[in-house]
Amino acid sequence: MNMDCRDFREQHLCYVDDTLPGVELVRMQMHLTECPECARHDATIRRSLMLFRSLPRIEPSPDFSKNLERKLRDAKLADSAAVRTSRTRRLGTAVTVSSALMLAYIGFSLRQVDTPQDIVLPPVVALASIADTQMSSSPAPEMLAAVPAGLPLWTAAFFAEQTPVHFASIEQTAAR
Amino acid sequence: MAIIARKQAAQIQPQGATVREQLRAMDDSGVVSAFLGGEERAFSELVDRYQTRLLNFIYRTIGDREKAEDLVQEVFVRVYRHLHRFDRSKKFSTWAYTIASNLAKNELRNRSRNPLVLFQTVQKNWQEDDRPLQFEDSTSRPDDMYRKRYLREIVEESVAKLPEHHRNVFILRELEGKSYEEIAEITDCNLGTVKSRLNRARNSFAEIVAPYME
Repeated sequence: MNMDCRDFREQHLCYVDDTLPGVELVRMQMHLTECPECARHDATIRRSLMLFRSLPRIEPSPDFSKNLERKLRDAKLADSAAVRTSRTRRLGTAVTVSSALMLAYIGFSLRQVDTPQDIVLPPVVALASIADTQMSSSPAPEMLAAVPAGLPLWTAAFFAEQTPVHFASIEQTAAR
Repeated sequence: MAIIARKQAAQIQPQGATVREQLRAMDDSGVVSAFLGGEERAFSELVDRYQTRLLNFIYRTIGDREKAEDLVQEVFVRVYRHLHRFDRSKKFSTWAYTIASNLAKNELRNRSRNPLVLFQTVQKNWQEDDRPLQFEDSTSRPDDMYRKRYLREIVEESVAKLPEHHRNVFILRELEGKSYEEIAEITDCNLGTVKSRLNRARNSFAEIVAPYME
């Protein structure tokens, strides 16, 4: 089957680069013999590419290696400085964080020491009336001793723990 | 992988004087392994292999020789810094050309933002010292030499007239001889785009140059 000019132009890239399969290559070559327009196009492309490929290659200047060495040295220095800076920054951050944690801990501990803790005492239940206590033959001796001796009130309250038991025994005696 | 690289480098090191020859006999992948294994001379081997190729590629892309040298040096600085991150299942040359292509692209972008730089560059390109003279044959007649020099200027200008993404592909293929696949990787395009750009670049270039070839 013959090839038209459009197909030829589409496949021309691969034709010039020799990447066409055999059958397609033969069809392209046949079209070239039949179509002077495409033959001219093919020749123009090939000649222009030849011209481009024959452009002289430029060589690096004599200073090229020296300048490259200098840039590499600068880059190495910059890299090592960056590593040092990052290490210092990391150390600084660690010191700051640990200091903050320590301060927080100390603050918290001090706060706990300063806060007055409430003394929770068991409730005191008085079961005997005033009259009963006056009738008692033996009132709590500790209570009597504490008040005139000027002991603080909390000591008296501490001794008062024993009074209900004592009053109960009095109550039993009175009922008898 | 680092251990393998170190072993490969250790195989080279004892021979001393012939290290350069051994490195020269290696393929790129071997030289990269040697460098990663601690053989600093391997980097010089990579520079020797690629400096001229990269210089021509960048020079043809941006049209400024001095800047092209700067950019090639920048390519090597980047290679030196990041070689440990290079995916060694891929070709080193493709990676190096990718860096070079990106730097050239950035340079062109910066120029388009700064017309003064563009002007200075154009002026610099017209200095005689920047023109390679090998295109002429000293045995030719003066009128032939003039014609050839004139033709070379036309060719260089015609390449410069191509759109940037066409020119990039065109140079990689026609000057550097890269395959379509490699060009696709370097320019980060798919294969179809590469072929279409190359076809258009060839046609445009031929159209510009054709009148001067007759």
